[in-house]
Amino acid sequence: MKRWSIRPISLRHVWLALVVAATLVVGLFWHQDDPALPRAAAAPPAGLHFLGPVPAVTTAGEDRTMRRRQLAGQVRLTQHTYCSYLQQARYPHTSRPAAQHPDQLYPNQPVRESNPMRVAGGDSDPGVLVQTAQSRVYLAAGEAVELSLRAVDARGAAVPLVVTRALAQGMVAQGARPAPRVTLAFSQDDGDHWRATFAPQAGALAGFHGTIRSEVRFSVNGRTGVVLFDVIHSPELPAIWTGAPREAIGVDALEFTLPLDVRLPGRYVVSGRIDDALGRPFALASFNELLGQGTQAVALRVHGKLLHDADPAPPLPLVLRDVEGYLLRENADPDRLLLARREGPVLVSRTLSLDGVPDHAWQSEERSRYLAEYAKDRAAAREHLAAFDPAATLPPAECSEAGLVQ
Amino acid sequence: MKHRRIPYAFYLVCTLCLLLASTVAGATNYTLWINGRSGGGAPGNYSDFRYWGPAATPAGINKQAVNWDGRSSIASQSGRVRDALDCFCTGQNWCYIATYSAGDLLLGYTLANYGGSARTVTNASANANGVCAASGGVQTGWNLKWVRVAAGAAGGSELANAGAWTTSEPLVQDLKTSTARAMYNHNDTRNVWFYRYAGARGTAYSFVLPGQDDEVVAYHSSGGVAGNAGRSLCNPGDWLCDDLRLGTAPNQGGSVKWSWHSVVFRDDGERFNHYGDGNWAGIIGVVREAMVDTAN
Repeated sequence: MKRWSIRPISLRHVWLALVVAATLVVGLFWHQDDPALPRAAAAPPAGLHFLGPVPAVTTAGEDRTMRRRQLAGQVRLTQHTYCSYLQQARYPHTSRPAAQHPDQLYPNQPVRESNPMRVAGGDSDPGVLVQTAQSRVYLAAGEAVELSLRAVDARGAAVPLVVTRALAQGMVAQGARPAPRVTLAFSQDDGDHWRATFAPQAGALAGFHGTIRSEVRFSVNGRTGVVLFDVIHSPELPAIWTGAPREAIGVDALEFTLPLDVRLPGRYVVSGRIDDALGRPFALASFNELLGQGTQAVALRVHGKLLHDADPAPPLPLVLRDVEGYLLRENADPDRLLLARREGPVLVSRTLSLDGVPDHAWQSEERSRYLAEYAKDRAAAREHLAAFDPAATLPPAECSEAGLVQ
Repeated sequence: MKHRRIPYAFYLVCTLCLLLASTVAGATNYTLWINGRSGGGAPGNYSDFRYWGPAATPAGINKQAVNWDGRSSIASQSGRVRDALDCFCTGQNWCYIATYSAGDLLLGYTLANYGGSARTVTNASANANGVCAASGGVQTGWNLKWVRVAAGAAGGSELANAGAWTTSEPLVQDLKTSTARAMYNHNDTRNVWFYRYAGARGTAYSFVLPGQDDEVVAYHSSGGVAGNAGRSLCNPGDWLCDDLRLGTAPNQGGSVKWSWHSVVFRDDGERFNHYGDGNWAGIIGVVREAMVDTAN
């Protein structure tokens, strides 16, 4: 029987190996030009630049100008892609500056909209705007939604409105048995708003899972109008918040841990807002992981470097507030079962100093993979432009924060 | 018995060589096109471009049609997008993406909910259902370069609010402006840019759609504007309406865009409507040109 073993190398073997390696590499690069392989679509002479349209090309000279402009656009695009990722990936996706999530900071504020009055027959009356508000769109089991509406004219002055009928009904697939309907009791407040509270669990829609549409008919100036409010109701809680939240300084973050008694295992998506001591939003912390049945922990983290980088530094202590989340059901409709909302402050941090809070950039395989690819693209774009026009001035390779737009 | 011996350096060099070989040979860029409402292409058939126009038309390197039915709910169709991303955007392969209309909502939902999940690296060879076989390994999320969005409906459309479309269609329920905006965190793109193209040649529904529109979506959605819907945004020069500003800059009036969303095309000439007409037309044509130029 033959056995293979390893022994110290001889020069001849090294040469042999190098020749084989070189042959393979050359062969592979050659293969890249194989017309049988999928190829890039031929770039037409005209097209869009990174940030704007480029005029059509008519002559060979302009062709060259266009090509040069195209290559310069690629340099800018790849530079922008690389530098913005580099700058923003100092912190993990699960711990981001509040300013980057402007519409996620106050999830319990009502959703307000204003639309021209929709009248019978599908037409709209642009002279009357119907202003609507609903306190939430997704409803966990046991939650209620506040609905309101009023009418104004084009100058914003209130126009008398009377609600004539309001029905809430579950939306079901075509051909399915209709879901129950319930009547909503709208009443006029002291001003010109008409308001109603809708609590699905209190009526025939308690067990309904999905979109419940409230169709509210009203009268303005003798014309009948209609407005629709949709909420997505989740009739059962997939998990229950349990026990007191805890705080700890982790490997790279300040961690707020919320115990959760999971009844239905799966992917849980949770988010919480972090305010500074003055009540100003500082960060959005999120969680998106698979959880098994039983007592689990949802960790909402404030990345240490995010705290250290802030200028000025946030007044401490931090406060975790307004935690919400759901069990995400893959490929299902409705796609989620909501957790009970935790409105207001959930935990006030005991950390009163950044001493001891780690201060290093986020590291991960994903981050390294992206930066390597984006850097490769940037280098290639610069090479292509330099090869096409050796006189071209390339932008500095360094990433300057001033040049970023995020 | 005489042993044949292989020098360990030979192993070393050949291993490096094979690693390099796999990198060079396996690294492929793809361009994915995710359709909007109404569908048309066969789901799972990445070569079927009938929704968009002639398949022979250039539309970015190694283009793939990520077809979905265009009428079911976003949640139920997200699997189609995840299948495609698993196929073409894992391992050594990277993707450029073009989305259109409700495809914007679909991709945003998918990235926000699944963008950090463990994905199986595949062989980029799809079966009839559009699923690719595992080729070994798992990675976090997908490999994406950037996204270009034609007439993005991630902010919903007032046409869905007003009942202009059939209400029995699950997608129409998702496109209601309040629902579309509450469905997921639009700022969470995994640090991938969404470059947005907003058309303005809309007339038929101008009394329903606030500000400038392409006949289906208003600028507040196609421009990636965060917060509540209903905001009127227009091209510069309209004194009665705030400007939708280019790039990531806040709009006139102070409204801001979702993070990682940048308006790169605003239809100041009001030349482009929503419809592709099965021939890469309208605002789709503008994005197609950009893909040809930059997705390579």
